[in-house]
Amino acid sequence: MGDVLVNDKYETFVGLEIHIHLLTESKMFCGCKANYGDEPNTNVCPVCLGYPGVLPTVNERAMEMGYVVARALNCRLSRKTYFERKNYFYPDMPKNYQISQFQEPVGVEGYMDFEFGDEIKRIRIHDVHLEEDAGKMIHAGDMSLQDFNRAGYPLLEIVTEPDLKSGEETEAFLRAFRRTVRYLGVCDGNMDEGSMKCDANISINLPGAGLGTKVELKNMNSPRFVRRGLQYEAQRQASVLDEGGKLIQETRLWNENRDITESMRTKEMANDYRYFPEPDMPPFCPDDAFMAAVEEAQVELPLTRKHKLMRKYSLSSEQAEFIHDEKGNADYFERVLALGAEAQSVYTWLSSDVQKELNLLNMTLTRSPLSAERFAELLRLMEEGQISGKIAKQVLIDVFEENEDPSRIVEKKGLSQISDPAAIARIIDKVLGENEQVVQAVREGEQKQKGFLVGQIMKETGGRAAPALVQKILSEKLS
Amino acid sequence: MKKEELLTTASLALLELEEGEVERLGEEVARMLDYFEMMTKLDVDGLEPTTHAFQKTNRLRADVLNNNNNNNNTNNSFNRPLIMENGNDVEDDFFVIPNVL
Ligand SMILES: [Zn+2]
Repeated sequence: MGDVLVNDKYETFVGLEIHIHLLTESKMFCGCKANYGDEPNTNVCPVCLGYPGVLPTVNERAMEMGYVVARALNCRLSRKTYFERKNYFYPDMPKNYQISQFQEPVGVEGYMDFEFGDEIKRIRIHDVHLEEDAGKMIHAGDMSLQDFNRAGYPLLEIVTEPDLKSGEETEAFLRAFRRTVRYLGVCDGNMDEGSMKCDANISINLPGAGLGTKVELKNMNSPRFVRRGLQYEAQRQASVLDEGGKLIQETRLWNENRDITESMRTKEMANDYRYFPEPDMPPFCPDDAFMAAVEEAQVELPLTRKHKLMRKYSLSSEQAEFIHDEKGNADYFERVLALGAEAQSVYTWLSSDVQKELNLLNMTLTRSPLSAERFAELLRLMEEGQISGKIAKQVLIDVFEENEDPSRIVEKKGLSQISDPAAIARIIDKVLGENEQVVQAVREGEQKQKGFLVGQIMKETGGRAAPALVQKILSEKLS
Repeated sequence: MKKEELLTTASLALLELEEGEVERLGEEVARMLDYFEMMTKLDVDGLEPTTHAFQKTNRLRADVLNNNNNNNNTNNSFNRPLIMENGNDVEDDFFVIPNVL
């Protein structure tokens, strides 16, 4: 489903607030383990439970990751960043405030480029700031159960300007953003597991009239649901305006079972978080060494990588899209090429036979037994004519199953190609001798029957006879 | 100070005020606000805001786990039974509160 349903009388504005869980060992302000799926209330301590008198201390790695992302998103980096208390009462946050950033976040005024169809779009980034996650609650009957394992988990929030124009475009942006944080190694980007979350704000207006009345959308747990939530909401808002109604500023929840957004009933009072500087934590002023480490951690970003793959190895856009999706795969691809393989053949194998095997075994390429070295060796064996393409496919499966080098498998199983003309001639003589009637038919002009003879020869050699030689010698013998 | 402003401030702090308190606190808070008003008149152009009383910066900790692990190899960062003892109501290793949904 595209955006065709949306009333094109209006212009749509979408901005995002993306939260990513940083891949640190410990929490943001204490040494508790930052991990999913542990027994309730095991990764907790007086700091993340908000006991009075404790002293939260910033996780150095999380701070660095914050700057790394801000830098990758082309932000102006803060020379003096500090935390503030965002005050609100909710039992998932026992301190009654969340430690966040407000006046001086790690980065502001950045942008990110991404591909949408044939176009490169630029989305402005308002700011990138560090904060802590809240605990988890399970509501059951007349009680709510609290688990604080997630409380204090390091979060990085990325806020975009309302530059996105449709649900489709937003989905494409989110996928590009997810790829970027994975490239940077700061977040696994799994929206279904909650390590990346995205709230959106959306408004529509007549073209040229600027932003409309903003509606916040929450509860969209995948890029696809973000697209569908936004599409639904743009449509809903257009209908309200078309009927002469007025939109109200509100928060709505995406209901994935009903495919609609629903108003979240909240108290009318606007939020007033009364931010003030966190007195327990002094400001952080990055020194030269810290900034050097941030630079050091920058990687070639996905879009640049994709274009490089296209330019340097003559891949098509679709081919490069496939190869660059995971940084590890793009690195792997280039390593195989550096070992002498040819780009098109590497792509073809990766996207078909290798991918099939990976899916079957539920493995990722970089952790599979098919190392770049083994893969390059397999292609070399094939190119040098030591094994046929068909045998190569079998060897590939064997590499996965036996975790051995292709050359070793070929040797062990006697799979190398028979390319000695005398040996092939002997086999051909044998086959011709066993099929005298067919030979007769071919000699009388029934060329189709020749294929049968080739098949018999290949069968006789277990597929190992060099096909070109078989063709050549057979033709000589039949003429 | 308007009564409404005081009530908003109180509700943000989850305070319930009785009628007499509203009167009394209204006056007291107004006096505080007057004092801030006086401060806002000072010329602070070109001064960097002092966000923190102490000028020390960059107090960070390395990204390593606590080793106050006394719960037998379960990577618990703190003694769970001890922590749970502080809960008013506890069930199945969760803290229990009235349903807030
Ligand atoms: Zn803790």
